[in-house]
Amino acid sequence: MSTSVPQAPATTQASSADTAKVQKPKRKRRKFSPWGVVAWIVGLGFFFPVFWMVLTAFKQEVDAYTTTPKFFFVPTLDEFKAVFDQGVGTALLNSLFATTVSTILVLALGVPAAFALSLRPVRKTQDALFFFMSTKMLPVVAAIIPLYVIVSNIGLLDNIWALIILYTSMNLPIAVWMMRSFFLEVPGELLEAASLDGASTWRAVREVILPLVSPGIAATALICVIFAWNEFFFAVNLTAVQAQTMPVFLVGFIAGEGLYWAKLCAAATMAALPVVLAGWIAQNKLVRGLSFGAIK
Amino acid sequence: MTTIAPGSSEERAAAQDSEHVERIKKAQDPGVSRAEGWRRRGPLLPALIFMIIVTQIPFLFTLYYSTLSWNLVRPGSRRFVGLQNYLDVVGDSTFWQVAINTVILIVGTVLISVVLGLLLALLLDRAFLGRGLVRTLLITPFLVTPVAGALMWKTAMLDAVFGIVNWVLSPFGVHNVDWVSKFPLTSVMINLVWQWTPFMMLLILAGLQSMPRDTLEAGRVDGAGAFQLFRELTLPHLRRFIELGTVLGAIYLVNTFDAIYMMTQGGPGTASANLPFYIYQRAFLGFDIGQAAAMGVIVVIFTMIIASFALRLIFKSFTGKEEAA
Amino acid sequence: MATITYKNASCIYESSDKLAVDSLNLDIDDGEFVVLVGPSGSGKSTALRMLAGLEDIDEGSIEIGGKDMVGVPSKDRDIAMVFQNYALYPNKTVAENMGFALKLRGVSADERRKKVEEAAKMLDLTEHLDRKPAKLSGGQRQRVAMGRAIVREPQVFCMDEPLSNLDAKLRVQTRTEIAALQRRLGTTTVYVTHDQVEAMTMGDRVAVLRNGKLQQFASPADLYDRPANAFVAGFIGSPAMNLMTAPIVADGVKIGENSTLELERDQLTQLHDAGLKEVTAGVRPEDLELSDSGGIEVIVDLVEDLGSEAYLYTHAGPGVTLVARSLPRAPAKLADTVRLRKQAGGAVHLFNPQTGERIG
Repeated sequence: MSTSVPQAPATTQASSADTAKVQKPKRKRRKFSPWGVVAWIVGLGFFFPVFWMVLTAFKQEVDAYTTTPKFFFVPTLDEFKAVFDQGVGTALLNSLFATTVSTILVLALGVPAAFALSLRPVRKTQDALFFFMSTKMLPVVAAIIPLYVIVSNIGLLDNIWALIILYTSMNLPIAVWMMRSFFLEVPGELLEAASLDGASTWRAVREVILPLVSPGIAATALICVIFAWNEFFFAVNLTAVQAQTMPVFLVGFIAGEGLYWAKLCAAATMAALPVVLAGWIAQNKLVRGLSFGAIK
Repeated sequence: MTTIAPGSSEERAAAQDSEHVERIKKAQDPGVSRAEGWRRRGPLLPALIFMIIVTQIPFLFTLYYSTLSWNLVRPGSRRFVGLQNYLDVVGDSTFWQVAINTVILIVGTVLISVVLGLLLALLLDRAFLGRGLVRTLLITPFLVTPVAGALMWKTAMLDAVFGIVNWVLSPFGVHNVDWVSKFPLTSVMINLVWQWTPFMMLLILAGLQSMPRDTLEAGRVDGAGAFQLFRELTLPHLRRFIELGTVLGAIYLVNTFDAIYMMTQGGPGTASANLPFYIYQRAFLGFDIGQAAAMGVIVVIFTMIIASFALRLIFKSFTGKEEAA
Repeated sequence: MATITYKNASCIYESSDKLAVDSLNLDIDDGEFVVLVGPSGSGKSTALRMLAGLEDIDEGSIEIGGKDMVGVPSKDRDIAMVFQNYALYPNKTVAENMGFALKLRGVSADERRKKVEEAAKMLDLTEHLDRKPAKLSGGQRQRVAMGRAIVREPQVFCMDEPLSNLDAKLRVQTRTEIAALQRRLGTTTVYVTHDQVEAMTMGDRVAVLRNGKLQQFASPADLYDRPANAFVAGFIGSPAMNLMTAPIVADGVKIGENSTLELERDQLTQLHDAGLKEVTAGVRPEDLELSDSGGIEVIVDLVEDLGSEAYLYTHAGPGVTLVARSLPRAPAKLADTVRLRKQAGGAVHLFNPQTGERIG
């Protein structure tokens, strides 16, 4: 998805030089700067692997597997169809289901928790936060063995619900941390004013606080979606055929189709694209979420 | 705070006040404040209980398993051996090699991606045509499914015959280098740096944009050049963002698994395996539960040590107030 | 009947061992406009918030209309509050902000709209009813905060420094509007400010607080004419009263090297009876005038000419400063040596040099 620079910067410069004499109040300055060019080059460079992945997905096999990379070719959807024929549909649905449900659970558990840790602080707030963050720091690999044993003993092996529960626990600490920082932004006086107006705590939260923090909650949800969709370790160890998610499907695909690069790229594109698009669309929310976790 | 002269009427008044406070505190009904405490804690409990069950119980089991000699291939041989597993692990030279790999991966990736992220953030901090688009492009590696990204690096980019990197470098006399086989750890690190630089960049960019501009202006008026401004004003302000990025990145990178699984399967041999992958191999491919568990516990202990520094850092930086500009 | 009574009410700062409010006793009549004034940290905001239920009453009680409020949550106290930062609900329009309390009470939409429009007319907000607070100016937001309180027709209005975020000119204008509004509505009002000018102009009675303790609770005139202690004397009135602790001599108090501030005979008798060698004497700048002879000899440090009047900042000796008010285009200049004397009809206030309590 490379984009072309809309207009030659030189013309912009020339015309703005002309109008500079005519006193115009400061308009939005679109400076042509050499650093801008560097930034573009770096940006395109970082994006290249993804670009190539999507590009190759549209190639025919013979165009994909070449010594010199081919930029021009006749596009085709055949590879995508082939991937579908091999059962990507189940994996897509599984990923969708696991991501959606676990994110909903995270919000259901996390919003009240964040509320308790910010607007009505408990004395042991620091300790609770400490605990949440520390669970994130435990290497997942240390728990995988007993998790495997437990999950298989309760019959949830190759069941999407095992993943849902684990994804919820994976994302909950970050979600609480982020949402707490958004809650802290709300001035305490608003709750007091609502309370004086006659609102119970629950009503005040619903009518006053939640509308204010909803962008923050959206940002948090987006980050949870990203991590849940892309998760691989739990999925590959705890699922087989029925509950496999997109990342697992992709890896399985490689085992059989390792040399069919166009098909591989088609599968990889389907695995990666939903979240990439979601991240692009909600980019500002995402950035805000990440940086607020930092600032507060 | 005014100082109180001893023996004065002010001192007597202050003493009376303290007694007054004591009386009030003693008369307070503990039942009421306890009930209020629980009411406030209420919303927190579901999340807390959930996390405790899902994270702590498995870990307790891991501790238990680490004291067993248990190989799934030989059923019925499960028996208690105390700390024997730990001794075996510590004596296993592969374990130490893998541990070193892990450290190299983490330190290398974090360092490079922080530096790159800083440079990118500086680039993006100033307005230019299409800045928003460039940012969109730059955050993509962070969004891409790690296995898909690793796949692309392994095949399209670094492949010996068909890889783009070799094609791009061929005018410089580099021909058909099999990056993944000859430089496995480096290849994995390239993928990781590619994936994590956007994250660092976003954090540092947030730091840059949250910096009060007037201190920079004051510095410029005082005669500081661009580099001096950066070193004296910008970098100290960015410090806590860089620290946060380093800590968070390191925590996530300890668990790196996808890239290794996809790119090298830990090989050749165990040249590019890190601790999580090695443990995975022992447990799911070698079926040695006891040893794998012991390794897991050791990793946890090391991580806890580092994490406690990290946690203290996070909490100190972010619950304290920003120093006066 | 919305009388308010603070009975020995105390409150401790959270996570601290200091009393924010110390045994406060106030009797406020129905319909009265009472101002709580004092420097920062005096406990005035805390006392107000105790009344509204936003701070716990750790000792004693507060009664509204004779009913004890200890343990009663804010939402049941029928009190409306205007916050310093207005605390308007950002996601609701002005009309929704003002009607929120009524909505919670279950008042019908039509009834709500009528009341909101009435209040909006009173406050000149009718054209802003459908805007959100972010689109309003500071002054408009302040009026919405007032409107939100008025619509509820509560027993009591609480106002926590509502004018401090307005610019000076708007502050003066809004001050008069609030006072007029309260007189019209007749609701008991407790108003907190650190600005003694607001206190003097708006309050029926004023309570001066310091370090959590009540200093004096009286009408503005009484506070001005008979301050109960040196703190109140120095706090009320602008520029502040001149307060000097000086030795007592035959016919008055010795100021500087060779000047005497004369006292009344009964004042001298009281001092003698109290057995004091020193006393803290206070004279307001407006009670001092330039004179040719007699009085206190001072050197002028600064002249502030305000157009309608002038203030002379002088010193009689090292550390003994005196401020005097005089006619504009003052005849005195910088570094002049002039004489100041008490005006006929002016008062000298005497306070105990240790306790600050008023003498006489």
